[in-house]
Amino acid sequence: MLENLFVAIGDWFNNLGARAGAPYWGDLLELVWILVAILVFLGLGVAMLVLLERRVAGFIQVRYGPNRVGPQGILQTIADMVKLLGKEIIIPRAADKVLFLLAPVLIVVPVVMVFAVVPFGKDMIPIDMNIGLFYFISVASLTTIILWMGGWASNNKYSLVGAMRVVSQMVSYEVPLVLSLLGVVMLVGSLKISDIVRAQEHIWFIFTQPVAFLIYIVAACAEVKRVPFDLVEGESEIIAGPYTEYGGMAYALFMLAEYGELILISALATTCFLGGWLAPFGLTFIPSWLWFFIKLHIMILFFMWLRWTYPRIRVDQLMHFGWKVLVPLSLANIFITGIGMYVYRALGW
Amino acid sequence: MFGQGLLKGLQITWREFFNKKVTILYPEQRPPLPPRFHGSFRLDVEKCIACGICAGACPNRVIKMDSVRVGKKRQLTSYVMYMQYCLFCGLCVESCNQEALHFTQDFELAKYTREDLALVLAKAPAVAEAAAAGQGEGEGA
Amino acid sequence: MILRLDHEVITEAIPVVGYLHRGLEKLAEARTYTQVIPYTDRMDYLAAMLNNLGYVQAVEKLAGIEVPERAEYIRVICAELSRIASHLLFVATFAMDVGAVTGFMYPFRDRERVLDLFEMVSGSRMTVSYMRIGGVAEDLPEEFLPTLKKFLDDLPACIDEYNGLITGNEIFQARTKNVGRLDPQVAINYGISGPVLRASGVYYDLRKLRPYGIYDRFDFEVPLGKNGDCFDRFVVRIKEIEQSARIIRQAMEQLPEGPIMGKVPKVLRPPKGAEVYHEIEGAKGILGFYLVSDGSNRPYRMHVRAPSFINLGLINEMVRGWKVADVIAILGSIDICLGEVDR
Repeated sequence: MLENLFVAIGDWFNNLGARAGAPYWGDLLELVWILVAILVFLGLGVAMLVLLERRVAGFIQVRYGPNRVGPQGILQTIADMVKLLGKEIIIPRAADKVLFLLAPVLIVVPVVMVFAVVPFGKDMIPIDMNIGLFYFISVASLTTIILWMGGWASNNKYSLVGAMRVVSQMVSYEVPLVLSLLGVVMLVGSLKISDIVRAQEHIWFIFTQPVAFLIYIVAACAEVKRVPFDLVEGESEIIAGPYTEYGGMAYALFMLAEYGELILISALATTCFLGGWLAPFGLTFIPSWLWFFIKLHIMILFFMWLRWTYPRIRVDQLMHFGWKVLVPLSLANIFITGIGMYVYRALGW
Repeated sequence: MFGQGLLKGLQITWREFFNKKVTILYPEQRPPLPPRFHGSFRLDVEKCIACGICAGACPNRVIKMDSVRVGKKRQLTSYVMYMQYCLFCGLCVESCNQEALHFTQDFELAKYTREDLALVLAKAPAVAEAAAAGQGEGEGA
Repeated sequence: MILRLDHEVITEAIPVVGYLHRGLEKLAEARTYTQVIPYTDRMDYLAAMLNNLGYVQAVEKLAGIEVPERAEYIRVICAELSRIASHLLFVATFAMDVGAVTGFMYPFRDRERVLDLFEMVSGSRMTVSYMRIGGVAEDLPEEFLPTLKKFLDDLPACIDEYNGLITGNEIFQARTKNVGRLDPQVAINYGISGPVLRASGVYYDLRKLRPYGIYDRFDFEVPLGKNGDCFDRFVVRIKEIEQSARIIRQAMEQLPEGPIMGKVPKVLRPPKGAEVYHEIEGAKGILGFYLVSDGSNRPYRMHVRAPSFINLGLINEMVRGWKVADVIAILGSIDICLGEVDR
């Protein structure tokens, strides 16, 4: 029963419409339910993630993180939100007003849109497209241009430099990201997310594609602009890069998008490499969506672990690493995967 | 960038994650302070002979004291330390021959107004009046 | 600091100093020699004991005062502890400048132990004003030596941790190796001293070449660098922490009993017209005190040769031709203390 909890609720909504004789209304209600569920997941998830990041950072740095606001600091994000709501969004006089205010609003859009293809559990992909993986990657890279828009509209030299760095970083690391996932796609033979998860029933792809996993982690870190690739916001002449001129709720929306992206890349990692919602060792008494949740958080904690250990790399070293090291490596991975598959089939296994 | 250095860094942070924390949860827990801690000040008025050496030893002229001669002895009438100028160097405590001025372990010295910052360690205007009344021609105060 | 850029490359760097100027040299003219001691703490506030040491040794030279043995040994222990504290802070802030925020916390945790030792001995953590003209203010409390021994025993493990987390990290090495190279001849021409000079390969440590106090009784090495880049400056300082620990251990073994204060007149009046310039090896470089006396109990003139101020003059030369991200690494690796730059 627990296994199909969310699916059952969705079906109940659907049946409401069917019983009333208007199946389209049933479908609509089910879609609204899915949308609400995703938004709640995203909202609560980001709130918890902000706190989790700070607590994990504190523990790694042999100190307590925020633990005063609410028990163990649970209400810390709410306190931060209230504070940010009260701040004034100062629009610089020479800034492009429309674009300036449009950027933080728009940046949340691709993040929420991609959640449509995340497999939360068994039969719990909101929209199971044939090109699910392709949709994921392409929509997720829309954030690049919106960030650039924000940096440009600020009319501030630091923001402009930061925005340029954002574009160059994200575009350069799309290539190894996609190429590493191509290895997985070759093994599965389809871009459909549910097929990818089901293909890992015997063995997870992290064991058959370890190099692709490592490349994916590095490229995904660079995509989300986290350390060691956070030169966009951490360093750019010491001020916050494209986020410089934003204050209050606009800044909060950028942070929401950043943590949303973190959830997304962790979700993609669990889907493609860690087996999605499949239970390891056949422990099926834990529902599939709970397995997904656990694996998601393992990946999130791993990314946080990376963040608090490493220093930043420089812009030119970043480009050198992306193009001269990761791309050839991922191409080599595809090559070897191809050979491996051919040998596998030839041997008749 | 394939190398032991990166993995070693991860190992170290993993280990430190589970280590004991070095911070204390103030204000529930207080930091342990050594006996020589330079905190606030405490004056033993009985021991003080109002010689003024401490006021002279202070680099910033923090101490303002008044005294009045009663017979052969000097008596302290007022002793105020203006804490906004204090360097907490300890030269005054060290210079006191009678060991009347001491440090305490109190470090929470923030106040809300500038007037509150003046630490009044001894205030005995009655002594001044008694001296002036008793002597006829009062000296000092 | 004003940077002139050509796209991402720097053509000129002009440091603008004076925002922390407190007029300590002028203030010293209105205070007695003992009252100046708390002011000297506040110059290089990260290594307060070393400032105290330089000043009191200068005054003792001026007035011809002898310091008892026990006080000398206590002074050496405190000065080397101060050097360790300053270098630990350098490791922490340099790691944070480069981006590793956790690398900021671990050295600070160890620096806390040094500050606890200072608190135990003098009552204050950073601005200690512990040394006096002719000796030290108070004798060591009983728990000082066992705590110090425990700290020194734990120190190699801490240094291993920093090496594992920061020095061995490939990203860190890529950020700092071959960045901000300093030619030894250029360094000598600019008057640089301290770990910056030693990292370029020049063997110049005042504790070895012109020993002051009792430094000639200790056996220690002076770590030198090869390339003179940021990485070498970092590694040289970490090695200096180890050497300072070695000195402290020897001082602890040789510590004699005895008085802690020499024969000092109640009111110190150095001879009129006497002047002295005394240098010590401070944490940031060569720290010099120039004192002129006019026969009264106040110095007529005090001038401090602040190593950070002189080292900062090199920044234009070193930074030219590098990118903005490197400026942060280079400036961090010179290790300046602004209290010293501005006095």
